[in-house]
Amino acid sequence: MELQHNRHILKTEQLSFRYEDVKKPILKDVQFSLYPGEAVLLLGPSGSGKSTLAFCLNKLYPEAVDGKLDGTISFKGKMLEEFGPGEINQHIGIVFQDPESQFCMTTVEDELAFGLENMKTPPDEIESKIDEALELVHLLPYKHSLIHTLSGGQKQKLALACVLSLKPDILILDEPTANLDPASSYELTRIIKELKENQTFSLLIIEHKLDDWIDLTDRCVVLNKEGEILFNGSTAECFNQYAEELLHEGIWLPSAVRAGLLGKKEGIYKGEKLPLSDRELIAGFANPICALQILDNRKKKHQAHEEQIILTAENLSFNKAGKDLLKNISFSVKKGEFVAIAGSNGSGKTTLSRLLAGLYTPSKGNILFYDSSLSQWKEKELRQKLGYVFQNPEHQFIADSVYDEIAFSLKIQQIPDADIQKTVQAALLQVDLLQCADLHPFSLSQGQKRRLSVASMLVNDQDLLLLDEPTFGQDARTSGELMKLLETKIQSGGSVVMITHDMEILHSYADKVIVLSEGEKIYDGLPDALWKKDEIMKIASLKVPYLEKLRDDIGSIAGGKKLVLT
Amino acid sequence: MLEKWKLREVIVLSVLAVVFAVVYLVFLQFGNVLYGMFGLIGYDLIFGIWFIVSIIAAYIIRKPGAAFLSETIAAAIEVMVGNAVGPRLILSGMIQGIGAEAVFAATKWNNYRPWVLIAAGMGSSVTSFIWGYFISGYAALSPGYVTAMFFVRLISGALLAGLLGKWLSESLAKTGALNSFPIGKELKRGKPENGITA
Amino acid sequence: MFLHEFNPSVKAFTVIVCVLILSVFFDPVTPFLTLVMTAAATFIFGRVSFKRWILLFSPFIFMAAIYIWSALIFSKTIEGETILWSWGIFTLTEEGFLRALSLGMRVLSFTSLSLLFILTTKPTEFLLSLMQQCRLSPKLAYGIMAGYRFLPLMKEEFEIIRSAHRIRGVPKARKLSEKMAELKRYAVPLLAGAIRKAERTAMAMESKGFTGDKNRDFHHKISVSWKDWACFTFFIGAVLGSAYISWLFGFLQLYNGEL
Repeated sequence: MELQHNRHILKTEQLSFRYEDVKKPILKDVQFSLYPGEAVLLLGPSGSGKSTLAFCLNKLYPEAVDGKLDGTISFKGKMLEEFGPGEINQHIGIVFQDPESQFCMTTVEDELAFGLENMKTPPDEIESKIDEALELVHLLPYKHSLIHTLSGGQKQKLALACVLSLKPDILILDEPTANLDPASSYELTRIIKELKENQTFSLLIIEHKLDDWIDLTDRCVVLNKEGEILFNGSTAECFNQYAEELLHEGIWLPSAVRAGLLGKKEGIYKGEKLPLSDRELIAGFANPICALQILDNRKKKHQAHEEQIILTAENLSFNKAGKDLLKNISFSVKKGEFVAIAGSNGSGKTTLSRLLAGLYTPSKGNILFYDSSLSQWKEKELRQKLGYVFQNPEHQFIADSVYDEIAFSLKIQQIPDADIQKTVQAALLQVDLLQCADLHPFSLSQGQKRRLSVASMLVNDQDLLLLDEPTFGQDARTSGELMKLLETKIQSGGSVVMITHDMEILHSYADKVIVLSEGEKIYDGLPDALWKKDEIMKIASLKVPYLEKLRDDIGSIAGGKKLVLT
Repeated sequence: MLEKWKLREVIVLSVLAVVFAVVYLVFLQFGNVLYGMFGLIGYDLIFGIWFIVSIIAAYIIRKPGAAFLSETIAAAIEVMVGNAVGPRLILSGMIQGIGAEAVFAATKWNNYRPWVLIAAGMGSSVTSFIWGYFISGYAALSPGYVTAMFFVRLISGALLAGLLGKWLSESLAKTGALNSFPIGKELKRGKPENGITA
Repeated sequence: MFLHEFNPSVKAFTVIVCVLILSVFFDPVTPFLTLVMTAAATFIFGRVSFKRWILLFSPFIFMAAIYIWSALIFSKTIEGETILWSWGIFTLTEEGFLRALSLGMRVLSFTSLSLLFILTTKPTEFLLSLMQQCRLSPKLAYGIMAGYRFLPLMKEEFEIIRSAHRIRGVPKARKLSEKMAELKRYAVPLLAGAIRKAERTAMAMESKGFTGDKNRDFHHKISVSWKDWACFTFFIGAVLGSAYISWLFGFLQLYNGEL
């Protein structure tokens, strides 16, 4: 269904793109138009060419890579080839995914000036344009700040301001929140909504987590694995027709759609169409309270806890360069327990995990691991009992092949070769990487890298595994695979301590949550009790998981309010 | 010189220079220790490491100027992050870069086989030695010692710049990070491309 | 904040000319006076904190000490020099001592001049000035700036990789082959990550319409005025003055290749 608009501003015809040495095209015969003022969501499994399409639209491709582009792209009726170098970028702006690699200057002001100078803006107008753009994203107080001192969320706002300062007709967002924590991510979407109301640009959004974007979008375009357009039409129709296929491809669905889909399968959702909003979802349930119980997909909590404590932190404090990063923290981890550590950025989560791993030494306090203090452990023995998975898997790769990566820690224990081979094969089979054994670890896909990094820590059968935000920036499927591995670990009697921003994971898996704020422990207990502590949720900028939110909504509706469908 | 460069090549060049500027600073301390132990010839043992970015940048980017610019920028960054040897260091960087660049120029920037990389490392040894001979007063030393220094530096340039640089670049190419550069494409096809830039 | 406003390109030129002049002479007094003058200017006109300065300066005191030390040990005793002290094969002559001291002072005076530049100049302004005054190609200048931004990031990553190696139980490298493997284990992930980021940064810059065009009107204008040249003259005069004082006291000597 094409929406009724006056005239498209951007149009592609028979657009195909492939890399020079590769036969298989990334994009195939893409026919696509964008109309003034509309917001379009571009969906597709990873590797379907979403970003490639975005880069083709503003002429970054094929010039930035050795690729071949067939077909045509026109902007306001003029072919893209007819624009001079850099000219189209004034009209089509883009915000990228990685906050660390979007800038070339050291201060906020200089970065904005860089773009304006590129567009040959008269120098006496630059100052006011910088202020105007910063005002739009609420960054004016940071005008003279150094970019590397900004948080990830602020960096993305700056990237947005850089684009806005050029007054583009089209704004492309290429997963701008993928590397942000939930609080910053929410803030960025809020700003974009605000802008959308007051400005006239068209939006093309590529995103994984859709909840915050759904009510903003007019239309969805879905690409399939082959880089062809699978669907082009209204958002509601898109999820009605393709929800299952999207889910199958590992694309996050909006929470309401996912819940509706599950409800339909279970026969409890009676709505004609899949719901796009919580209201529609609740209205479609014959018995909302009962539906909640069915939707609650949490695994049964590990009841049979052996009450053996394997790790105890006693009054831990840590200061570095005169700053108290952690203050007086105590807690314990039992055998077979899944402990989550949550808190906003800079609250000391990573520092705490490094202390627990024995990488840093506490300034005060003590850590007991199996009844002896960490400092008394021999390094070699400790590493075989306690594993640590870093946020970026690449940081911990040390070998030239996937096989050697797993075999490494076995080799340093001088295990006979035949046994190593057996163990490695089994480990690779478990993480589904057997066919990649000879590849270089760095050449794997994102999800494969994540699995390999965990597998290299599982192979020693460590009793305790610490993980630093392992699902950060990963897609739905990768996160799911990882959690499956951790579940197995728990079932075989291991313990897991995981730093996470993802409240859905926390909700589904954690036995215990520790919340940090400014280096202090402000909560230690069951996840379910945490959701009710509004104060703590607010201080730590945590978000209530979807199911709990739904529970609240149902509660308030059942509490007498009459539901009016919009 | 830079008109034919893509922006991404310029930034990769500059990133390589940043990384190796830091490596150079680390080796400077190491060099000082060797100097204290063996005298001037101690420096020559590891002198080659200071040419390595020329080899790596040229081997990866394969454009005229890569060897010279990378070494010069690395020296400039070394100065900016606190090697207070100062402006003279930038000059030394340029002279070392010229040595390697000259060898690549002799092959018309068209040949990046192992012997060329080794020769480029030795090229830097030669120019840096000539510069050192005049500026640091090697003339005051006995001819035998100077000759020994020269050969030690030549070997160091061949091994620590030429071969080590080649090995590091190829290890890097195996990770797939250089797939859009000729060296990465070579690796994919499994045969040398003779450095013809795409 | 006078030195901060000194045009970066002229400032760099000043430092280079000062170093060149100092290279012509070889005596302990000229560099010592220059050192005192430069340090004083750094603190008075640059308002640089002494703590920061000494932090960067002290390694060179150590280096100068090594220079002096090895110049003492390895220097040849020339016939007719005054022997101050002798022990076994070591002989210290007055002339040898002066040579060693000159070498050490020379290193320190170069260092103080470099620090004057480094501590009072922002890298961004230096590059902007090089583009505006010296016609440096914007492609190269902005490219260097983009690369320079990765420095703190790489420091962070280096620390993480070091921790990760500990976790994996990587043994300490002892043999040369192990040392090489260790260098690779650090360099490869650092470089691979940096190169991918570099490519992304290049795209981001192009998406902001950067073409490397040499005609550019700068928001942040860096100008040259008579003040900059007055400053240049002052520093050159000070170095020459140091040499003059040294000559008055009979120390001044031209450099002819001593070690």
